[in-house]
Parts: sequence; C-alpha cells; structure tokens
Amino acid sequence: MTKKTRGSKFITRRRLLTTVGTGAMLAASPFRINVVKADEPTIKVGFPVPLTGPYGTEAQDQVRAAQVAIAEFNDAGGLNGRKAELLVRDDKLNPGEAATRALELIEKDKVSFIVGSLSASVQLAVNNVTKERKIIYNSISQSDEINEAKDFSRYTFHEALNPHLTAGAVGRYAFPKFGKKVAFLTADYAYGHEMVRGFQEAGKAFGIETVIDVRHPLGTSDFSTLLPRIQALKPDILCISNFGRDQQISLKQATDFGLKKSMKIVAPILLYTGRLAAGAQAFDGVIGGTSYYWGIEDKVASAKAFNDRFRKMHDGKVPSDYGAMGYAGVKVVLEGAKAAGSLDSEKVIPAIEALKYDYYKGPEYYRKCDHQAVQSVLIIESKSKPEKGPADVFNVISTDEPSEANLRTCAELGFKS
Amino acid sequence: MSDVPQTIADASDRSNSLFDMAVRHRAILASVFLLMFPLIMPFKALAANILIYGLYALGFNLLFGFLGLLSFGHAALFGTGAYFCGIAIVHFGLPWYVAILIGTLGGAGMAAIIGVLAVRTRGIYFAMVTMALAQCVYYLFYQAEGWTGGENGLRGINVRVIDIFGLKFDFLDPLTRYYVIAAFVILALFVLSRILASPFGAVIEAVRENEARARASGYNVMLTRLLTFILSGAFCGLAGALAALHLSIVPIEMLHYETSGMVVMMALLGGMGTFFGPFVGAAVFMLLENLVSLWTVHWQLIVGAVFVACVLFFPAGIWGTILRRIHK
Repeated sequence: MTKKTRGSKFITRRRLLTTVGTGAMLAASPFRINVVKADEPTIKVGFPVPLTGPYGTEAQDQVRAAQVAIAEFNDAGGLNGRKAELLVRDDKLNPGEAATRALELIEKDKVSFIVGSLSASVQLAVNNVTKERKIIYNSISQSDEINEAKDFSRYTFHEALNPHLTAGAVGRYAFPKFGKKVAFLTADYAYGHEMVRGFQEAGKAFGIETVIDVRHPLGTSDFSTLLPRIQALKPDILCISNFGRDQQISLKQATDFGLKKSMKIVAPILLYTGRLAAGAQAFDGVIGGTSYYWGIEDKVASAKAFNDRFRKMHDGKVPSDYGAMGYAGVKVVLEGAKAAGSLDSEKVIPAIEALKYDYYKGPEYYRKCDHQAVQSVLIIESKSKPEKGPADVFNVISTDEPSEANLRTCAELGFKS
Repeated sequence: MSDVPQTIADASDRSNSLFDMAVRHRAILASVFLLMFPLIMPFKALAANILIYGLYALGFNLLFGFLGLLSFGHAALFGTGAYFCGIAIVHFGLPWYVAILIGTLGGAGMAAIIGVLAVRTRGIYFAMVTMALAQCVYYLFYQAEGWTGGENGLRGINVRVIDIFGLKFDFLDPLTRYYVIAAFVILALFVLSRILASPFGAVIEAVRENEARARASGYNVMLTRLLTFILSGAFCGLAGALAALHLSIVPIEMLHYETSGMVVMMALLGGMGTFFGPFVGAAVFMLLENLVSLWTVHWQLIVGAVFVACVLFFPAGIWGTILRRIHK
C-alpha cells in the first residue's frame, strides 16, 4: 500500500531505469572494441579452435604453436614491415559457433586468413563461410570430405592429414607384418567411418579379411561388453578408430582384458596428449600413425629448429602432433603472403600452390586439385617406459613418405579433368 | 515492447497512460528496438544470432509462458525448420523465400506430429515425451546422411543475393543480412502480438490458469494445446530457417537436446510469459557467452555463476522483474 504514494514519481523512475539499462548496454559494447588500433594495420590471422570441451588440451597446444609461427614471421620483418597478429577464438567444438566466429573474424576484424578447427564438422562449417567470402582458409584437422569437389573451393587449403592417408599408412605398415584377420572397434561417427574405409581400401592390396566391425557411440566409458566379442573371434589385428578420451579408455580396457596377448592393436592416430594423459601401460606396444612427433628432431633438421623455438617460447615444453599443425597452418599462409608480396587472396593462392616447403617435418607441398598437403605419415609405437624424460613416449618405427599415390585421386574426389 | 499479465484488477486503478500505450503497441516498440539493435552489438553476426535465438525463444515461450507447458524437445522444431530450409536450397535449388516458407511449415508439421503424441500428457511427463520424440528426430536426421550430411552437417546453403520486388540486396553484407532477418522477426512479432490479443490468445491463458474451468466453459483444451504447439513450431521453424540462411550451414548440433535446454534457459532468464522477455534472455545469454569466452577459457564458470545469480535474485526473469518494478 505504501508503494502507492510513489505513483507520481513513476515516470522519473522509469526514465532512470531506461537510462541505466541503455547505459549498461552501451557500456557492454565498447568492452569488445578493446583492440587499440596500431599505426600500421597488422596482418590478421583468425584462429578458431575448441579451447573448451573435450579437445581443449590439443587446441591450446595449437594456439601455442601458432604463436611460434607468428613470432617467427614478425622477427623476420613481416611483410614489408607489416607485422602479423593472431586472433584466437573459442569455437566450443560447435559448427554453429565456429561459423559465427568466422563471420565475426571476417566482417568485424577483417582478417586476411583463417586457420584452425579441430573437428570435421567444424572445419566444413568454417570452410563454407570463408569460401563464400573469398577468404583463404587453412584447415588443421582431419577430414576426407573437405578434399572432395563438393566442399572444396580454391580458397580451401588442408594442412592436416586426412583419414584416408593416415589409416592407409598404418594399414600398409601393419597388414603385411601382423596378419590378415582384422577386427575393427570404431567410434560411430564420420571420423571413425572414414578411418575404417581408409584401412579397408589399403587392405585390399593385402587381401585382408574383416572379421567384425564393432561400432560404439561417442563418449563410451564401458567397453567390457564389446571387447570379449572381439577376443572370441581371434583376429590378428584390432584397429581401434576413435579419438581423445574414447581412445584412452578403450585402450586401457583392452589392456586389462588381455587383448594385447593374442592380437596386435593399431590405431590410425596415436595422440601425444592422449598418451600423456592415459599413461604408458594402456598404450604400451600399440602402433599408430601421426602427423608429427617431436622425437624426429634427431633426423630432421627443420623439426629440431621448430622444437627449439617452441621450447624457448613455452618454457621447455615440446609441441604435440596437432599443435605442430597449428604452426604449419599459420606459417603457410604467412609465407604465401610473403611470396606474393600481397594479402590479396587471388595473389596468395597461386603463391601457396607453388610453395615447396619444409617447415617442421620434412618436405611438403599442396596438391593442385584439392589443396591437400602432400606429406609424410609417421608410424609410431608407444614405449613401455619413457627413457629420456616424460615427453619421450613414442618410437618412430617407419615413415610413410609423401606421395600423391597415397591420396585418393583427383577424379575420385569429383574433380573434372 | 512490454507486457504484463493483463488481469482486470491492476489495469485502470493507477491508470498510467504511457505504460498502457507501451503495452498496446508492444510489437511496434519491439520492432524499433530490433532495428537499432545491431548498432550497440559487438558484431553483426552475433546480433543476427540473438535475433534468431530470440525468435526461437519467443516461439518456445508461447507454449511455456502462455500455455504453461514445459517442452524439452523444442530443438526438434528449430532444427527441422533449419534442415527443411537448407535441403530446399541445397538439394532442390529453390529460391530463398520458398525455402523460408518450407522451413516454417516444416517446424509446424513436426510440431503437429510431436504434438499429437504429446499434448495428452502434462507436467514432467510432457517434458519427457517431447524430449524423447526430439531425440528420435535427432537420429532420423543424423542417419539420413545423403540429405542432411549427418555428422558433418548440411553445407552449401549459399544465398548471395536477396531479390524481392525487383530489388537486389547483397546478402553477404553483414548489415543487410541482419535487416533481412529482422524483417522476418518483426513480422513474427506482429503475428504473435495479434495471436495473444485475439480471443484464442485469451483461451490459451485460460487453459494455463485453470484447465478445469476452461473446459467447463466449453473450450476444447486438447485442441487449444495442439494448436498452440503447432503455432510455436511455426515460429521455431522460421527461426531455424533464418539460422540456416544466416550461417549457410545446418550443424546436427541444432537438433541436440542441449539446444532444447538452452531455450528453456533463455526464456527463464528473460522472463517467462512476457512478450519481449525471451529476446532479453537470448541477448543476455549469447552476449555473456561471447564476451566472457573472449578473455578467459574458464568462461563457463563465470557465465554459470551469473545464471545462478539471475535465478536467485530475479525469479521472474530479467525482463519480468523490470516490468514488475515499473508497474508497482
């Protein structure tokens, strides 16, 4: 009832609230415009990666490695004195969020290039946004589809390996050595399916026989019903095609069930970060592929140089496999810009196509038709015990040398002529 | 721009002409605000997203706030709208306006299917049934890889030019894109305002307030519920179609139950049962996420704390609390 007397003040009160409300909103907006404009505009490289979520560890390492590439470019004088700047965005492992962030980077921040992503669907989303706006995008995550004519554009580059290449390399190594009866344990989504397809295509040449293909949903925590089924079929090889935490858990349980005694376990990708998290026992003796392992620095000079720079910038740490791709991805577009002497996409594209580079793992180049980086795949085996410090986790047992023959042909991907 | 449950008691007593006028012309005020909105937003794509999710929350609120049914499966309606719009463009090459219509009808159609099965239940059972059916829809679209791209999502919804009455607009320009989307959202606002002001709107609220009495007064409660659910589906379908055009992709995540949960959060945050509250909720939700995640990877912690505070101190939602304060 006492409130009633305030009736006359109502308008002022309302005004006050409106003013405060509007003020708060206006205050919120310049909050974002916090980048102080430098005299000379920097070269902006957008870097959307899933900093939060299940692949956060890998993504944060990608950022660290990308910073190395930026620092290197700036120390070398930039592009006629113009320095580069990395704009990191969290895509939350969500294609919609990634597309929104890509729009932000292009429309508001006016980036010249976008590099990043760590999931097939996210990179395809970013790619669709960038190709419509004629911005060069270099993807650093595995996917087969991004190579195909349907999604490809001349603005699309793919620095990462693809499942066909990775699984193929591991298969070519494992099938002749360990036997022809193969079982699959596969995460039931695009990544897993593409990996299995890669294994089976490589296996054709060796006449492998698929005894079972068990599919499990993403984020499975209990494999105890699946593993005995596989064990009963007595395969020579078990291919485990899953990622991140699924990989750690399935390997751990396979070890506990004693599968390693009767069969060889291979994985298309053995994650450095995953191995560190799960410990030596679960991964012991497992064979897999990787794009990069820091241990090749004894043989490859560019790897040594990259590792040293990374160690210097990030207190002695060594780069992970996916991290190293962040470095190469950013480095490629910046070197392309340097070679072209311009930031114009139309001029940078031919410059990148012409690059023959060895930035961190040996020679690489982009195939003309699908802009896939033709590169080596390392076949690694997990060590029982680290010998030289905790980072010493894998042995490189073979190298699948870069060759276009290991990729699907341009015609297979749907490119004409 | 504003709306207070118009009970008979509080209207005339302290007749405040300004406030009443605002209530009467809520759709116009909301539209004016939406037209100026991109100017105060950090970037246009976010403003457009807020618009789209605001409309999605608006459609949800019609069911939740006005009819009093809590659905946990609205992602199915939102996602169906997006996929239908996307498929119309990608696989059939239809023009954008037909695609938007198909998306809207798709949302309504999906709502009709889910609604027929769900409206017999109420309370927690309604929430569970809608959620279960929405999961079925998720797997349906997930498995139909040839049509939807499955896990990888649907790509290639590339509309570059919006042509209407002989005029051509560059849809790649961020501000143009915002205003094209805003035009549809404003249209939806007027339609919703009209629905709520109609006799049918009164029946909706009557069912929420007292179902038995509404039935005794001769209203068909089941049919009212079903119709409201379908209307809600149409609004959500339109929002989905606009999302597909805006981002040029439809990720499978749009059908995920998290998207259903998000809209509940937005409606609660803004104020359930208010006309403009869902927009406020969507704006606060998305702004917070975007701004906080820019400066720390621990954004979830901070955003979560803000939500807890909102629920504790503004039980009627942000907009609901503001309205209540003004109206006292």
